[in-house]
Amino acid sequence: MELEDKPGQLVKVLDPIAKLGGNIQSVIHLREKKTPLGRLPVTVVFEIQDKEKLERLLQNLRDMGIRITQVGEKELLIKTTLLLLGHIVHSDLQKIIDALNAMESVRVSDLTLAVGGVGMESAARMSLLAGNPEQLVRALSLVEEMASRMGLLVVRCVGQ
Amino acid sequence: MVGFGNLGRALARILLQDGNPLQRRKIETSVVAIVDEKGGVIDERGLRLERVLEVAEKEGSVASLGQPGLSAVEVIRSLEADVVLELTPTNIRTGEPGLTHIKEAMNSGKHVVTSNKGPLVAAFRELTELAQRRGVQFRYSATVGGAIPVLSLAKRLCLGDRILAIRGVLNGTTNYILTRMEREGLPQDIVLREAQELGIAEKDPTLDLEGIDTACKLVILANSTLGLNATLSDVNITGISRITPEALKLAKEAGYTVRLVGSASSKGLSVRPSLVPLDHPLAVSGTLNAVCFELEYAREITISGFGAGPRETSSALLSDLLEIAQNL
Repeated sequence: MELEDKPGQLVKVLDPIAKLGGNIQSVIHLREKKTPLGRLPVTVVFEIQDKEKLERLLQNLRDMGIRITQVGEKELLIKTTLLLLGHIVHSDLQKIIDALNAMESVRVSDLTLAVGGVGMESAARMSLLAGNPEQLVRALSLVEEMASRMGLLVVRCVGQ
Repeated sequence: MVGFGNLGRALARILLQDGNPLQRRKIETSVVAIVDEKGGVIDERGLRLERVLEVAEKEGSVASLGQPGLSAVEVIRSLEADVVLELTPTNIRTGEPGLTHIKEAMNSGKHVVTSNKGPLVAAFRELTELAQRRGVQFRYSATVGGAIPVLSLAKRLCLGDRILAIRGVLNGTTNYILTRMEREGLPQDIVLREAQELGIAEKDPTLDLEGIDTACKLVILANSTLGLNATLSDVNITGISRITPEALKLAKEAGYTVRLVGSASSKGLSVRPSLVPLDHPLAVSGTLNAVCFELEYAREITISGFGAGPRETSSALLSDLLEIAQNL
């Protein structure tokens, strides 16, 4: 965001973040990048519980006349973890990953394999990122559908 | 008392104790009949429980003390009593013989306390409606969560809030197995044998491992708190047989454990192994059970404790008995 370069401006911004339960992680003043109008670019990194709160916060700040120039994308993503169990080494796991990565704002961010003993089933742990809860639900049902056709069992996070 | 296995005997022992919960409230109880599959013993002035326990322990039945071959239905029909305790083993398909026992009791104007899941899973609405028509009380706290007052908490939560979803670890046997597999890195069959030796798993553990026991409890919980009339076939069930030590290890590395979770919400009923964050209230260890209610106002309330064991479950039977006595 861009703030006026005078005392008390930063507090005005940080206060609403804290009030909505946000956890402020860092504040960086980019003094060397002062705008032609003399405004000071500031990067604030914080964690906040859900998207709805984030939207409310952004609206509050805009209503206060704060100029928000950029909202980091990473903060808009939600993450989940799941396990795939079965004869994974001989399965088409790659197809599941490709299908997920082909979805809009869905990405497989991590995959770890634990191979079982000879003839035993193996396990894979997958981390998934999605842009919003609806996309996550769609991604998870895609995994369920493809996995069940391959005879794999999906273990999802509780409540998802 | 109909059925006099481990649970019936544990309850009888507590009734013999000075200062038990009923005595503390000056509620006089006498057990006028005990029937098991081989026969029954009756004394309308009240049985001498010490003697009955002695014979039952030695012979596996109370029949020799009274009338071998005496049927439970006959006793329920003909005997004067306030309450019938139906404590026979669960049959998940037909609900029998418990279902008949409970119906006979209600039809003859007796209140019913049961620990038997079978009749509730097979005929939940039929039984609750029959109880209403006959003007008798029907209590079944012991069927879900053993000693943990899951059902009474749920009823209370329904008063001032709205339950959006219920999620529970409802089977101590599978939870013990998963806990041991996770901690020791051992395969399921070895941990299962250990659990059987400790008496935590039954000789035929199918109902537990396949998630059917969890599903039964979920059906009772959902029917009595969410107003459904679900049966076992409405539950999408996956057991824990495919969970390996490798799966548990991968879960743990990412900060999770795997638990067999029964879920009920507007989306339906399911039982499936699920990833549970290690700091989540459902991540209970060993034979513990836990039930987490998702609520409109209060967000989340979780209750946990021992979901099985004769002595533990007796406490649920006693609270049911007390509630009935207080409403008489």
